[in-house]
Amino acid sequence: MKGNGDIRIGFYICHCGTNIAGLIDVARIAEYAGTLPGVVVARDYKYMCSDPGQDLLREDIAAYHLMRIVVASCSPLLHEQTFRRAAEKGGINPYFVQMVNIREHGTWVHDDAEYMTGKAMDMVRAAVLRVYAHQPLERKQVPITPDVLIVGGGIAGIHAALTMADAGKHVYLVEREPTIGGHMAQFDKTFPTLDCAACILTPKMTAVKAHPNITLWTWSEVEKVDGFIGNFTVTVKRKARYVDEDLCVGCMECIEACIYKQGKFPDEFNMGLSKRKPIFIPFPQAVPPVPVIDPGQCLHLKKGTCKDTCVEICADRKAINFEQEPEYKEIEVGAIILATGFTPFDATRIPYYGYGKYPNVYTALELERLVNASGPTGGEVRLPDGRTPERVAIVHCVGSRDEHYNRWCSRVCCMYSMKLAHLVKEKTHAEIFNFYIDMRAPGKSMEEFYNRISSEGIHLVRGRVADVYPETLEKKTNGQIGRVIVQAEDTLIGRIRKIPVDMLILSTGLQPRIDAEEIRRMFNISCSAGGFFLERHPKLAPVNTFTDGIFLAGTCQGPKDIPDTVAQAGAAASEALALIDRGVFELEPNTAYIMEDDCSGCKSCIPLCPYTAIAFKEEKQKAEINEALCKGCGTCVASCPSGSIRQHLFEDEEIYREIRGLLAYA
Amino acid sequence: MLAGEEVIEQMWGVSLDRLYDSDEGQRILSCIQCGTCAGACPYGEHMLYPPRRIITMLKAGLIEDVFDSDSLFKCVNCYTCMTKCPRNIRLTEILLPLVKEQSAVRLEEMPAELQKAIENTYRYGNTYGESARKRAAWIETIEVPIRILAKDPAPVDILWFVECDLSYHPRGQAAARATALLFHLLGLDFAILGPEERCAGDCGRLSWEPGLAETLVDYNLSIFDKYTFNRIVTNDPHALDAFKFRYPMFAFKHKTTATVPELYAHLDRLKPMLTKKLDYLVTYHDSCCLGRHNGFYDEPRALLEAIPGVRLVEMDHNRENSICCGGGGGGMWLDTWYKQQGIERLSDRRLREVIATRANVLAVACPYEVSRFEDAVKLAGYEDRIIVRDITELLVEAIGGH
Ligand SMILES: Cc1cc2nc3c(=O)[nH]c(=O)nc-3n(C[C@H](O)[C@H](O)[C@H](O)COP(=O)(O)OP(=O)(O)OC[C@H]3O[C@@H](n4cnc5c(N)ncnc54)[C@H](O)[C@@H]3O)c2cc1C
Ligand code: SF4
Ligand code: SF4
Ligand code: SF4
Ligand code: SF4
Repeated sequence: MKGNGDIRIGFYICHCGTNIAGLIDVARIAEYAGTLPGVVVARDYKYMCSDPGQDLLREDIAAYHLMRIVVASCSPLLHEQTFRRAAEKGGINPYFVQMVNIREHGTWVHDDAEYMTGKAMDMVRAAVLRVYAHQPLERKQVPITPDVLIVGGGIAGIHAALTMADAGKHVYLVEREPTIGGHMAQFDKTFPTLDCAACILTPKMTAVKAHPNITLWTWSEVEKVDGFIGNFTVTVKRKARYVDEDLCVGCMECIEACIYKQGKFPDEFNMGLSKRKPIFIPFPQAVPPVPVIDPGQCLHLKKGTCKDTCVEICADRKAINFEQEPEYKEIEVGAIILATGFTPFDATRIPYYGYGKYPNVYTALELERLVNASGPTGGEVRLPDGRTPERVAIVHCVGSRDEHYNRWCSRVCCMYSMKLAHLVKEKTHAEIFNFYIDMRAPGKSMEEFYNRISSEGIHLVRGRVADVYPETLEKKTNGQIGRVIVQAEDTLIGRIRKIPVDMLILSTGLQPRIDAEEIRRMFNISCSAGGFFLERHPKLAPVNTFTDGIFLAGTCQGPKDIPDTVAQAGAAASEALALIDRGVFELEPNTAYIMEDDCSGCKSCIPLCPYTAIAFKEEKQKAEINEALCKGCGTCVASCPSGSIRQHLFEDEEIYREIRGLLAYA
Repeated sequence: MLAGEEVIEQMWGVSLDRLYDSDEGQRILSCIQCGTCAGACPYGEHMLYPPRRIITMLKAGLIEDVFDSDSLFKCVNCYTCMTKCPRNIRLTEILLPLVKEQSAVRLEEMPAELQKAIENTYRYGNTYGESARKRAAWIETIEVPIRILAKDPAPVDILWFVECDLSYHPRGQAAARATALLFHLLGLDFAILGPEERCAGDCGRLSWEPGLAETLVDYNLSIFDKYTFNRIVTNDPHALDAFKFRYPMFAFKHKTTATVPELYAHLDRLKPMLTKKLDYLVTYHDSCCLGRHNGFYDEPRALLEAIPGVRLVEMDHNRENSICCGGGGGGMWLDTWYKQQGIERLSDRRLREVIATRANVLAVACPYEVSRFEDAVKLAGYEDRIIVRDITELLVEAIGGH
C-alpha cells in the first residue's frame, strides 16, 4: 500500500453513545487506524459532534500539526458541516475532512460485531487513503439581487408581495388577468367566519397598487426565466390592454360610452352569468382600476369600423390607444415566489351530474357570484327563469376523491358547501340538502362552523350523488325550468333517496392550473403526482422547491383555504427575505468543471444535466458549467466521452485511492 | 392499474371468504361507503343489501348474513355501479358474481323461466331449447353465401360468432341476415361455426351457474382450436364480454370485437352504399356490455348518423349513464319473477324515456333488446308510433333494394 508521505492525519472514531460502540470495539479500530500511513493521532471519543469533541479536533490540529482529518461516525448528511467548521476553526481547509459513515452504513444495519469491525476497518482505510489527495477548496459567494418576482396576484401573491414590500424589498407582481384578487375576489363571504370577502381583500389590493416598493403588472405573463438563485433574469410580456395605464384616470366613462349599449359577451368574472362589453373592467374594485379592451370583440380592433365613442369620451385624457403593442420587460431578481393558484374541476367531465345539460345545475363558483351583492343578480339567488328556488341540493366532492377524476380531497369544498347552504338558505328560505361522503372540517374554528350551520336546519344526506335527471320526462313548454331529481343512497338510513330540487349546486374540487406543466418547466421546478407544484419537503420545507431561490405560496402547491394560503404566503415571503438579506449565496464547491482544452464540444452532457447547469458557448464551441446551478450529482462527469469533465472533491485520484483502500484487505 | 382482463385472470378461483386476501380484494377494502353503487343501481331501491353494505358485512365477517337477502339476485349486470364507483372497485366483474353465485344456490326455488333456460343450455347449447342442428337454419332464408367451417375448414379472417338469439329468435334472425349482407357487401372474409357453435356462456356464468359456464367455455374453446382464423366478431355484446373478460381465464387469446365497431371500421366504404333516405327520428339505447363495459359509445351513433335522413336524439340517460334494458345477468329470464316481486321491468322504465324523445325508431345493438323493447312497446300501446330496430337492420334498409 502506498504511503501518505508527509501528510499528517488525525483519526477520530465516535461512540455515538451506544449506537456505534454498542456493537463494535471502537478502541480497536482507533488502534488500527493509528497504524495506517500518515496517521499521527488516532482517538475514540464518546460524542465527536459535541463541543468537547469539536474542541478535541481543534486542539489536536495545533498540537500535532494535523493536515487532514478523518472522522468515523454518522452520516455526512448530519455532521459533515460540523466537522468541516471545526477543522476550519482549527486553521485547516474545511475540505480536508473526510467522514466515514459507520453508523447508518454500519452498526445500524449489521448485528455481527466481528464482521462489522472488519467492515469499519476497510472503510476507515479507504478514507485515510482518500483524504491524502484532497485539495483545498473554496466556497464561492454569489451576490443576490435584492428584488423579487411574484407570479400570480391571488390572495397568496398579494400577501407575499405586501410582506416583502413592507420589509423594503422591491417586488414585481405579475398577474395574468386584468386585475389582481384571484378567486377570493369572486366570493361574497368566507368561511369559517362568514366575513365579507371584499371587505378584507380590497384594502390589500389597493395597498398593493399604492405601495412604492411594488411594481404591479397585470394582464401580463412570464415568458422566459434564465439564471439561478440570486440572479434570475426574467422576461415578462405585458399584453396589449389598449388602455394606457398611466393616462387612464379610472373614470370608466369609456365603458359607458361603448358603441355596444348592452353587454354582449360572457363575463368571465361572473362565470358567464352576465354579459359584458368589449371594453370592460372585471369588477368595480378591480386593481388597477383601468379598463381593458378585448381585441377579438372590439369593433375598431376587429373590423376597423367603429365610431370610437370610447375614444371620443376619453377626450384629451387620450388613454385609449388602439395602436398599443405587447411590451416585453426584462428584469433581474434574486428570488421568485410562484402563487399561480388553482382551477376548479370542470363539472362537464362527470356527465351524470347534468352540468351544461340542465340549466338549473350550477357550479359552486357560479353560486358564489349569484349570492354576491355585486354579482350579476345583485345577490339574489334566482333560477334562469327568474324564480326563486324552493329546494336546493348541494353535491360535495364533485371531481374529488375519485379515481376517475382527481384522487385528492380538495379540502375546502365541505366548508364552502356549508357556507353556500347557509347563504342560499338565508337569501331564499329554500330547503337545502347537502349530499356528502365524509364531512371534513379540520382546522381552527371549522368544526364550530359546521356545528353552527348544521343546526340551522339544513338536510345533511350522507351519500354520494349517483344520478341527476329531470323530474318529468315531458319537456316543459311554458318557460319554466323543470326540477331535477337528485338520486343517492342515504347511507345512514340505507334507503335510496330521489329528491326533486329546483337548483343543484356542484361543489367542484380544486385542481392544478391547466398550464401548470408549462409553468413548471419554465421555472425548472417539479410537480407532485396530481400536478400541483412540488415542495422540497412535505413537512420541513413546505414552501421551498428543489430549485434554490424559487418558493411556493398558496393553492398552486395543493388545495387549501384562505387562512392556510395566507400563512403559506407569509412563509414563502420570509424564506425569500432570509435569502435576500443574506446578500450573498454560498456555493458548495463540489461542482463539476470542464477541462476546456479537452472538451470536444460534442454537447452530449448538456441534455443529461438534471439541473440545466450546462450551456454551450458558441464562441468557444465548448460546454460550460454554471457553478451556481450545478448540484454536484456527477452525471455529466461520468458521461463525457472525452473524459473532460471533472468534479471537485471527486477527482479521479481521490476516488481511485478510496477504492484501493477499500479493496486492500488487511 | 391492471387492465380488466388481467384482473379477471388473477381472480380465478378466489372465493368469497378469501376475497380480501387477493389483490383486487384489497382494492375493495378501500371502499369509502359512499353509496354511489346503491344510488346508481337501477334496482338499488329494491336491494336490502346493495354492494356497499355487502362490502362492510364481509369486512365484519358476516358472510352468512349477506344471504339473508336475495338482493343481488336482482342485479342485471349493467356495470353502472362499477363505472361510477369513485374507488374504481370492480364490483360487477368481481364482487357481485361471487355473491350472486351463492345467492342463487341459496334460493328456495330457482325461478322457472331461468331454470328452463339453464337446462336448455346444458342440454342443447342454447337457451331456446332448440336443436343444435338447426342453429344455422336461418342461412337458408338469404341469398348471400355463408361459409360453415365444418364443411369448408379453410382458414378465414373473421370467425363470425352468431350466438343463440341471432340463430333462433325470429327477430334475431333478421339482424343475422342484415349482418351477413353487410359483411358480404363489404367483401369481408368470414365464416360461421353453424351447428358446432354453442352459447358463449356469458349469461350462464353471470346467471350464477359457473359449472354451466365452464362447460360451455371448454366446449367452444375446443371448437375454436379446430379452425384457423384471425379474429372473432360477434353481434352479441354479452358474448363479446364473455370472450374479453371470462374466456381469458381459460387461456383464450383470440382478438374479439363486436359487429358495431367492426362495421364502424369500414364506415368509409359503407357510407356510399347508404343511398336510401330514411326519414326517421332515431334514439339509440346503449347496451351495457357494448357501452359501459367496452366503451363503444361513438361507433353506434356514427353508424346511425351515416344513414341519410336519420336524425338522432338522445334520451335523458345515455352513454355511460344509460339505463339497462333489464336483460343482463340473467334478467332476460326473470321478467315473471320481477313481476311477482312487484318490481317494474327496466325495459318498461326505459321505454318511457324513449317515448319522451318523440323518436319513432328505437335503435339497439344487442340481440336481447329487440325482443325486450318490442314487448315493452306493445305493453305501452305504442306499436304504431315506435319501431325497434337493430342497427344492422337500419343500415340494410338504407342500402335499399334488399
Ligand atoms: C367555490 C369556492 C369557494 C371558496 N370559499 C372559501 C371560503 O369561504 N374561505 C376560504 O378560506 N377559502 C375558500 N375557498 C378557497 C380559496 O379560493 C383559496 O384558498 C384561495 O383562493 C387561494 O388563493 P391563491 O392565491 O392560492 O389562488 P388564486 O385565488 O387561484 O389566485 C391565483 C392568481 O394567479 C393568477 N395566475 C395564474 N397563473 C398565472 C400565470 N401563469 N401568470 C400570472 N398569473 C397567474 C390567477 O389569475 C390568479 O389571480 C373557496 C374555493 C372555491 C372554489
Ligand atoms: S373537502 Fe369535502 S367535499 Fe371537498 S373533496 Fe374533501 S370531502 Fe369532498
Ligand atoms: S454535476 Fe450534475 S448538476 Fe453539475 S453540471 Fe453536471 S450534471 Fe449538472
Ligand atoms: S360506490 Fe364504490 S366506494 Fe362507494 S360504496 Fe360502492 S363500492 Fe364503496
Ligand atoms: S351491475 Fe347494475 S344491477 Fe348489478 S348491482 Fe351494479 S348497478 Fe345494480
